[in-house]
Amino acid sequence: MATTLTAPRRPVTNVRRNPSAAWHHLDVVLIGCVVAVSALGLLMIFSATRGPEQPFDYSFLERQTTFVVLGLGAMAVTALFDYRKVRDYAPFLYGGAMVLLVAVLVVGSRQKGTQGWFQLGKFQLQPSELAKLALIVAFAYLGAQFRNDVDLRRFAALLGLCLVPMALVMFQPDLGTTLVSAAVTVALLVVAGCRSRHLLALGVAGLLGIAVILQSGALDQYQKDRLTTFISQDDSRGTGQVEEASYNLNQSKIAIGSGGLWGKGLFQGTQTRLGNVPEQHTDFIFTAVGEELGLLGAASLLALYSVIVWRVWRTAQLARDDFGSLLCAGVLAMFVFQIFENVGMTMGIMPITGIPLPFMSYGGSATITSFMAMGLVLNVHMRRFT
Amino acid sequence: MPAAPPRRAHRHRHLHLDPAGATLPPALAKRRLGVLAVAFCVMFGAVVVKLADVQVLNPDRYVSQGQRQRFVSNVIPAGRGSILDRNGTELALSIPQKTVFADPGLVRNAPAAARRLAPLLGIDRAELVRRLTGPGRYVVLAHTVPDAVAAEVADLAVPGIAMFDEFKRYQPSGDVARSLLGRVSADGSRGYSGLEAQFEPVLGGRSGRVTYERSGGDADRTIAGGRQRVVPARPGRDVVLTLDRAMQFEAEQVLARHVAAARAKGGMAIVMRPDTGEVLAMANVATDPAAVPGDPGAVRPTSNNLALTTVYEPGSVNKVITLAGAIEEGVVRPDSSIAVPDRIQVADHLFTDHDPHPVTNWTTTDILATSSNVGTIMVAQQLGRDRIDAYLRQFGFGETSGLEFPNEASAQLLDPADWSGTSIGAIPIGQGLSVTALQMLNAYNVIANDGVLVAPRLVDATGTPTGRRRLPPSARRRVVSAPTAAAVRGMMAQVVERGTGEKAAVPGYSVAGKTGTARKPLADHMPGNGYMDRDGAYHYVATFAGFLPAEKPELSVIVVLDEPTSSIYASDVAAPAFSELARYALRRYAIPPAAVAAAADGVPQISASAQAIEDDPLPATPPPLPSTSPPPTSPPPTSPPPTSPPPTSAPAGRP
Repeated sequence: MATTLTAPRRPVTNVRRNPSAAWHHLDVVLIGCVVAVSALGLLMIFSATRGPEQPFDYSFLERQTTFVVLGLGAMAVTALFDYRKVRDYAPFLYGGAMVLLVAVLVVGSRQKGTQGWFQLGKFQLQPSELAKLALIVAFAYLGAQFRNDVDLRRFAALLGLCLVPMALVMFQPDLGTTLVSAAVTVALLVVAGCRSRHLLALGVAGLLGIAVILQSGALDQYQKDRLTTFISQDDSRGTGQVEEASYNLNQSKIAIGSGGLWGKGLFQGTQTRLGNVPEQHTDFIFTAVGEELGLLGAASLLALYSVIVWRVWRTAQLARDDFGSLLCAGVLAMFVFQIFENVGMTMGIMPITGIPLPFMSYGGSATITSFMAMGLVLNVHMRRFT
Repeated sequence: MPAAPPRRAHRHRHLHLDPAGATLPPALAKRRLGVLAVAFCVMFGAVVVKLADVQVLNPDRYVSQGQRQRFVSNVIPAGRGSILDRNGTELALSIPQKTVFADPGLVRNAPAAARRLAPLLGIDRAELVRRLTGPGRYVVLAHTVPDAVAAEVADLAVPGIAMFDEFKRYQPSGDVARSLLGRVSADGSRGYSGLEAQFEPVLGGRSGRVTYERSGGDADRTIAGGRQRVVPARPGRDVVLTLDRAMQFEAEQVLARHVAAARAKGGMAIVMRPDTGEVLAMANVATDPAAVPGDPGAVRPTSNNLALTTVYEPGSVNKVITLAGAIEEGVVRPDSSIAVPDRIQVADHLFTDHDPHPVTNWTTTDILATSSNVGTIMVAQQLGRDRIDAYLRQFGFGETSGLEFPNEASAQLLDPADWSGTSIGAIPIGQGLSVTALQMLNAYNVIANDGVLVAPRLVDATGTPTGRRRLPPSARRRVVSAPTAAAVRGMMAQVVERGTGEKAAVPGYSVAGKTGTARKPLADHMPGNGYMDRDGAYHYVATFAGFLPAEKPELSVIVVLDEPTSSIYASDVAAPAFSELARYALRRYAIPPAAVAAAADGVPQISASAQAIEDDPLPATPPPLPSTSPPPTSPPPTSPPPTSPPPTSAPAGRP
């Protein structure tokens, strides 16, 4: 705020003389892409929820518009508030998020078998989304201090920092968010300069852990089904019983595949219009893009995401300090994994989990969290010279 | 990358850091970021490649799956055409009713559902549970339930139970003509037997199809403005028979009564119009083998149309054809007289007349009226093998009737070259050949029609109620000359007037007819004698065939009783049934007696000696069939003496 307040007092030429002013280094490309994706998201959510015929249902469109506006505000606030001050509050953010995660297990409301929401009047707060950000901030805070010198004890500390929220989210149980956190953790551990042998050991342990989890009864059968469907997918072809998990996948692929190169046109997707794809406005929003906008539309969306990812990665490179680098690396990993997992699952190259597509999927907490994450990146980017 | 500003070192105030590390650019972190970039590029690449594959390179199966899912096709069942009698009365018609089915995948609580449905559908509860929990998504529970049951099932609203329209085939007249009509499949869509099968191309409609875009999810609703395509069902066309339902009913009733009275195994009766070949009634009945003999309720119409699908040895009724051939060929005249003994040796078999009599001069008319085997054989010997065979074939025994009824049988005639020495004795008197009842009656129709054979006709027209298409009239073929036919008619009238067929008489009308009591060749027979069962008894088939009024025939009737036991004689069991049927038919069709009841030219009155025989035609004594070959074949070398009927069937009521 200081920048804008002091600007009128200075001559115009001073602007050029003070090239390090944060305002001048706002990443307009990133903002433009995020806004573009959000707008497309609004359109596709409307297409997926308006129903097959008049009168159309505008409620989802209206609510998501609210979320996007709130998200833009949250992004602005996050960007303007110097991230180095955020660093000072990192322990409190992390602690606060952990408290919310514990609280949601106690007093949260339950939906579809997952206890992960606080009901706040009309809206719901999903603390696991905020916890992802808190995890990134806390890791960056700690990792920046360890500064490329991560021995086993520090490695364990960083890992432990990540495992606590992951475990709490897993208790809800919210497999998707846990997986995103795991991806973020791995990426951050890599970027934080952990030693190769530690990372290798972690990888082996992770594989063993997955095997143990699948063998034990920790996961419900439906979760296992969804994870394993993508391995044995395809060609149960309408004959007999299609398992529910592969049903989702089939519907999703039908929708995307029927789009072809040019798509069927906005609001013209029959699979979308008829509601054949389950959870289409949330986790399977990409199928609406694929069907109605075709390969060109879907590829354009992926291109926009690529630009966003590239800008985030670039910011990680340009960051003035390791804290900023790690922040951006965390956000980068979160986005890339969510995009890859979400788009991948609609086409059967990834298992089906409930992970939203950033800025596209319907949902308040996820949308606002994504905007806040972008705010952090903008923050790091625009303050790289100050 | 700008140089790290000097403030950087003390910004990391929370931790003591390696001074070198603090001042150096974070090379490792940047390198590691490069690793991430590579990994992320691979991930994006994978997504893009898969996307292109699904959408553009190999989209076909997804697209077609989507179409299949989006466009739902429902079959519109086509109503089956009706089968009507000649007056437009429905004998078989289709009515849409509900068929109840289950989707076991949606049935939540099978035992509860079964408890509620079992009494409604009349299915055992355990069986119902088994069906409701079986594999698959579609199990029919009950075809075409009554409307009231359908309404109750709908009220129960059991999850996973639903109904759709199917056509149920009704025979409003019950069993009437069931052997002709045949059966249809459970869903009422296909004919399995009888006319239902024969006229499947006419009766069976072409089911239609409605294809519409439907919404997904739970509701199976059409989309307003969605694409929809309807191929309307084309209902089947009707088949109009020549049959008369009332006549058919009467024929079945009369026949059943007489079968029961005669304690016969079964019977056949056909009523026809000789001039057009139209079949007015074709009845087939059988006695339930488990029932008490003589119980009228035990005799029911059969599902098998025996009159068309089985052949039997006709016996003496066949003499009409032999004598007609002989008269046509000029071998004899109705009044030519020959000396007839009561026995004749043909090859190795001694044929006898049923009643002993001295050598008597009998006219041809007397021979027919007394049903003399010996006389007929003597005439046949003059006619000769080849001409006898030719006339049998001319009278229609060499071919099927042309009705093309499913499983229709045709006469079994020996090739003349295969005749044995005794064939010239057996075949003219109706043994050693087999015909269907319809073929025999149609041969009689030749005589009734002034010598013209008219193919029988069972179906008059096909088509819709507004657009009937009549089938072409039956083919006609001259067999004997009109004078010959008239002469034979006169002779046959004598049979009923004074001969063996007196019980076939109808007061006020002149009736022409002939009896036939034939031994049945048996599948399970005494070795060495194909007609004798293992208990040493013969089995008989009694036939009476004829037409009336004799001078100008308008109706022809045949009655065949299978193994009558109260009396074996056609004159006792078949002739009265003929008379009863004829009386009903005369009334129903308001047929007046012929204006001139004059005897045909040259047909003498029956002689006193023949009248004295007042015979009942003892079954012609056919040469016993060899045990090794099926009937009818060449006779065996040894021939037992002619036997009188078995003691059990002693002619108690004979005149």
